[in-house]
Amino acid sequence: MTPEHTRPVAEPGSFRDPQTRVFHADGEVLRGLGAQAAQDWKALRDSEFFARTQADRTVTATEEIDRELPGEPGTWSTTLRHEPLPFVTYPYEWSHTMRQDAARLHLDLLRQALAAGFTMKDGSAYNLQWRGAAPEFIDVGSFEPAKPGEPWAGYRQFCQTLLYPLMLQAHLDLDPRALLRSQIDGVEPAQMRRLLGGTKRLAAGVLKHVHLHDSIQSRNADRSTGAVRDQLRDAGFNTELVIAAAKATAKLVAKLDWAPPATHWGDYRETCSYSEDDRAAKQRFVDSALEAADKTDLVLDLGANDGVFSRQAAAKAGYVVAVEADPAVVDTLYRQLRAEGEKRILPIVMDLADPSPGGGWASHERASFADRAAKADVTLALALVHHLAIGRNVPLPAIVDWLAGMGHTVVVEFVHAEDPMARKLLANKPDGLFPDYHVETFVRLLGERFDIAKRETLPGGTRTLVAGVRRD
Amino acid sequence: MESHLAYLDAGSGSLIVQALVAGTAGVVVAAKLYWRRVTGMFRRKTPAEATVGTTAAPVETATPAAATADKD
Repeated sequence: MTPEHTRPVAEPGSFRDPQTRVFHADGEVLRGLGAQAAQDWKALRDSEFFARTQADRTVTATEEIDRELPGEPGTWSTTLRHEPLPFVTYPYEWSHTMRQDAARLHLDLLRQALAAGFTMKDGSAYNLQWRGAAPEFIDVGSFEPAKPGEPWAGYRQFCQTLLYPLMLQAHLDLDPRALLRSQIDGVEPAQMRRLLGGTKRLAAGVLKHVHLHDSIQSRNADRSTGAVRDQLRDAGFNTELVIAAAKATAKLVAKLDWAPPATHWGDYRETCSYSEDDRAAKQRFVDSALEAADKTDLVLDLGANDGVFSRQAAAKAGYVVAVEADPAVVDTLYRQLRAEGEKRILPIVMDLADPSPGGGWASHERASFADRAAKADVTLALALVHHLAIGRNVPLPAIVDWLAGMGHTVVVEFVHAEDPMARKLLANKPDGLFPDYHVETFVRLLGERFDIAKRETLPGGTRTLVAGVRRD
Repeated sequence: MESHLAYLDAGSGSLIVQALVAGTAGVVVAAKLYWRRVTGMFRRKTPAEATVGTTAAPVETATPAAATADKD
């Protein structure tokens, strides 16, 4: 007997390729394939190349199932089921090395695919996701059998969403997140050209991938891609050249390293105001709150810094997303986690006073951080509230409302106004600007939305931890 | 021939750059493509082609119809 399933809901970010669409149902991730895509899938499924990507987990674990999907009869010939991701992130939330590893994996898969007689329909950074510190290619519908003399259709998209952001960071020390967040298709060659003039033209890859690219693009703007494909094939273009281009681009990606500047967060642990006693008490408190939580599948560590509490939480949780505003700190954490082969802690870059909004078509193609965070079970907000309340003037009631939109269980560390770290922030603001900034006020406000399960002031006397369970 | 257009607009210029990124062999292909475009401009047109593009457009502003006419 077939069990009853709830009607699958279309994923708002999956509509660009009409031949394939992702749906969600009961926590399952399903994909419909049109007639042509189904034929391509059958070729892929039977290939040794695909088996390899499943074994090394570079392409999301995928199986064919028997399930009806919404749509006009005949829209979907085949249904696939993918292993769900614990938490979806976007390129404007990644650190430089994450972006570099995502680009590396994309090109590596392209090269393997080409060697096996397949190609990839696109080249978008959004087709890559993370399982902890390991990138994964999620768009199985991207692979199709290659046609002779066919260039890689995804090269421009790869440049705009992966290669150019890497160049901006490596060549200009310019964080590309603002551009990626505001332009869903990535950075245009013409924009890059304006940013990388003068001697920067000589920086690795800039002349070809940026200047030549933009100039040839504008000179061929009136020609259809079909006509140019024909001309290229007639001129002798072949798969070997796509492989060579992918290889050359991979070599360039490997060169685009970024040395993060020393930031004050980089040595936060050395300079912060904790004593060893405080630290030990805080760890015990977090542990007991996690043990008491009814569900710990997804934990958000907001203001994760060097990830020490993310690591601690991972011992008691299914998956931890470590959210930190400083890209240099996230990059260091990512590289450590990658070296450890960590698959359950995902570090991301985000300013929590300005979290990722929804983006793309109808502002739903890319989900806002608030939407994605809503499914968290536990939220850790350790030494975060004073940054939002004093540093960014966010009223305490607004912070509590925001926390109530996330994890069912919340663990908050409130740094008193007398604490050296809070005093440092207060020194930049006029006296008496925050009369309500007080632990009692905060606990009272928190108590309006959460049942306070536990409260403890650290031995140092200037930090109070509160654990609460949301009243749903 | 079966249509080989992707769902994604690959960008006609981006396709040519790809050849240049591929190295020497790719540069040869791109050079050949441009050479054919130039020689195609001066090639005597068949009556069928002549009715499609009556004026000889310069290379940079060639219409898609004129571009396909480069093919032998």
